[in-house]
Amino acid sequence: MAVPDLSLFNSLAFALDGTTSNLQQVQTQLATGKKVSQPSDDPNAYAAAQILNAQSSAVSNDILLAQQVQAQLGTADNELSNVTDSINSAISIATQGADGSTNTSEMATLGSQVQSILQQVLGAANSQYGGSHLFAGNQVSAAPYDSSGNYTGDTGNNSVTFSNGTKVQTNFDGQSIFGDSASGIIGTLTSLAGALSSGNKAAVAAALPQLQTGLSALASTRGTLGINLSSVTSLVNDSNNQSTTLQASISNLVDVNIPQAAAQEQEALLQQQALVSLASNLGKIPLVNILA
Amino acid sequence: MSVNLASIGISGIFAAESEIAAAESNISNASNPNYSAESVNLSANPSFNGAGAGVQVLGTVRAEAPYLSTQINSAQSSDSYSQAFSQTTTVAQQILAPSSGDDLSAALQNMFNAFTNLSASPQDATVRSSAIAALTQFAQVDQGLSSNLSATANNQLSQVGTLVSQINQASSQIAQLNQQIVAIKATGQTGAALEDQRDGLVNQLAGLVGASADSQGNVTVGGVPLVSGSSALVLSTTGSGPTLGLQVSLPNGNIPVNPGQVGGTLGGLLSAATSVLQLRSDVNGLASSVAGALNTQASSGYGLDGSTGTALFTVTAGGPIAINPALTEQNLGASATAAGVPGDGSNATALAAIANNQSLFPSIPNSTPIQAFSAISGNFGTLVQNAGNSQQQASASLQSLTQLKGSITGVSLNDQLTQLIQYQNMLEASGRAVQAANDITTFLVQNIN
Repeated sequence: MAVPDLSLFNSLAFALDGTTSNLQQVQTQLATGKKVSQPSDDPNAYAAAQILNAQSSAVSNDILLAQQVQAQLGTADNELSNVTDSINSAISIATQGADGSTNTSEMATLGSQVQSILQQVLGAANSQYGGSHLFAGNQVSAAPYDSSGNYTGDTGNNSVTFSNGTKVQTNFDGQSIFGDSASGIIGTLTSLAGALSSGNKAAVAAALPQLQTGLSALASTRGTLGINLSSVTSLVNDSNNQSTTLQASISNLVDVNIPQAAAQEQEALLQQQALVSLASNLGKIPLVNILA
Repeated sequence: MSVNLASIGISGIFAAESEIAAAESNISNASNPNYSAESVNLSANPSFNGAGAGVQVLGTVRAEAPYLSTQINSAQSSDSYSQAFSQTTTVAQQILAPSSGDDLSAALQNMFNAFTNLSASPQDATVRSSAIAALTQFAQVDQGLSSNLSATANNQLSQVGTLVSQINQASSQIAQLNQQIVAIKATGQTGAALEDQRDGLVNQLAGLVGASADSQGNVTVGGVPLVSGSSALVLSTTGSGPTLGLQVSLPNGNIPVNPGQVGGTLGGLLSAATSVLQLRSDVNGLASSVAGALNTQASSGYGLDGSTGTALFTVTAGGPIAINPALTEQNLGASATAAGVPGDGSNATALAAIANNQSLFPSIPNSTPIQAFSAISGNFGTLVQNAGNSQQQASASLQSLTQLKGSITGVSLNDQLTQLIQYQNMLEASGRAVQAANDITTFLVQNIN
């Protein structure tokens, strides 16, 4: 069968086109490091990577948000720890004030100290993180306590739910922790300061069990807060691990296998060189050159 | 005897000259893709006394491979169709999945992340501002996708008019050639060059519109005639944009051409435009479903200013979505209750939870919005991938068939040069025969004298 010259050249051009296309494809993969950069490269891998990328984005956001919540809860816990110390000081002062050997003048001095503690507790109860009052319930924009210990917050609380479903409370009802001017820790400190100033030892003694109750309430709140903090810490660790796993999964789906691609490039280059060599010799084949 | 010898030699000279002329024509057309190799049809002259009487030239014939020509036209139609479809859908794919990664799924996730952040700090103006920025970005990505996909489809459809003109021009030329071929054959001459030209035009029409032709040059598209003998029928468009159609004008009325049966570049463009518009519809449908669900949830919430019922987006049938111009940082409903303002972010939590809603897009069941979008991306990727594969197969098939046909109708220079030597020898030998006849005649005349 005679092979027409036009077919011969067309076949060669077709083969060169194919080889060049393959070469370009593998060189693009090597340059970008990606074997899947558009859906048609591998529709299933692209779609799966798209979902994993979204998960990775959510997890990254979780990590940043959790670190923020961690700092917020840490601030709250630190304030409650300070309040615990203050209450312990108040218990010491009350114990001293209730003692029969303490005279009225000394009790008045102790009353001033309790008044100072009360202000510290009010300061802690009005503490903020990022402009948000931590112990105001949902009324986070304003300080929940006035200087007299009156509570202006509410009983609400707010939580954040992370992408894995973990729910963590971030705001607290200050009244249930610190009470107000008439009850709880603040109320007790207020009445204690008054009792010490007025030299009322019986009232001072009566404040002691209330302060112990306040300490227990604080310990309970800090326990809950500790659980939340632990939960957030676990979430950060898990999320970091998950982020690593997700990135590895995405890489498996879309990144190019460099040694394999390099071998493919060599193969395509050799094919191309062979075809170019053939093309340069093709013109010498026809009989017209031999007869000339 | 000597007179016969001379006429035999002369007939050989004529035959050799015809053969040489055919070979020269073949050699000079070796690079003409529409040329079919020609050969001379010879026949031995009838003898009167048993001895040879020379050769006569019956005519020049072109090599033909009608079955392969039909196959090539079909492959040409598929190749052009796939190429047009692949090029258009590849452009649409780049719009759907930009290399920057800033696609709709990223915008969706960014928005849901913003809601989660808002749930943690609903009173924070910066976080509220970021949430509105994420909502705006989601709407803008949908708008960009919608307008760019629409422009891609319309750009393809705008080429239809030019293609239809080219098709009508080729049809008209084929009709004229049909007439000329019939006329030239009636005179007993060969119409090889005209038939080559017609074959080329039929192949061009196959590439443009997927037309097929019979041996008489009658052309049809999807069963509807385009050329009937010496008459070319006019192809025209009806409607515009997504409703664009095709029809052929006949004397007794117009016949619509089923777009599904149109091949070639025109068929590829029409099909690609339909696919791109469907993609646009799917993307807008998804965005509208998500926006609708978010609107419902957001409207039940309370803003920092105590207002309620504020939607996040404006949703119009067919899309795209747009950010609600009335939405502000103050009226963004993050709180579930009026009393919860400003620290309650539970409505923002509910907004973020829509990321896990698996029933928003019924055509892709049991899928979250991002899973649904990835399914849309994957499905369109499969479409583009299949188009690319089809194009490669059609191209390889066309190449293979063209080569096969070339082995029958093409010109091999080696072959022609070998034959040329043979014909030159034949010419020289025939000349020698005439010379011998002349020598004999001269000898006889001299000896008789």
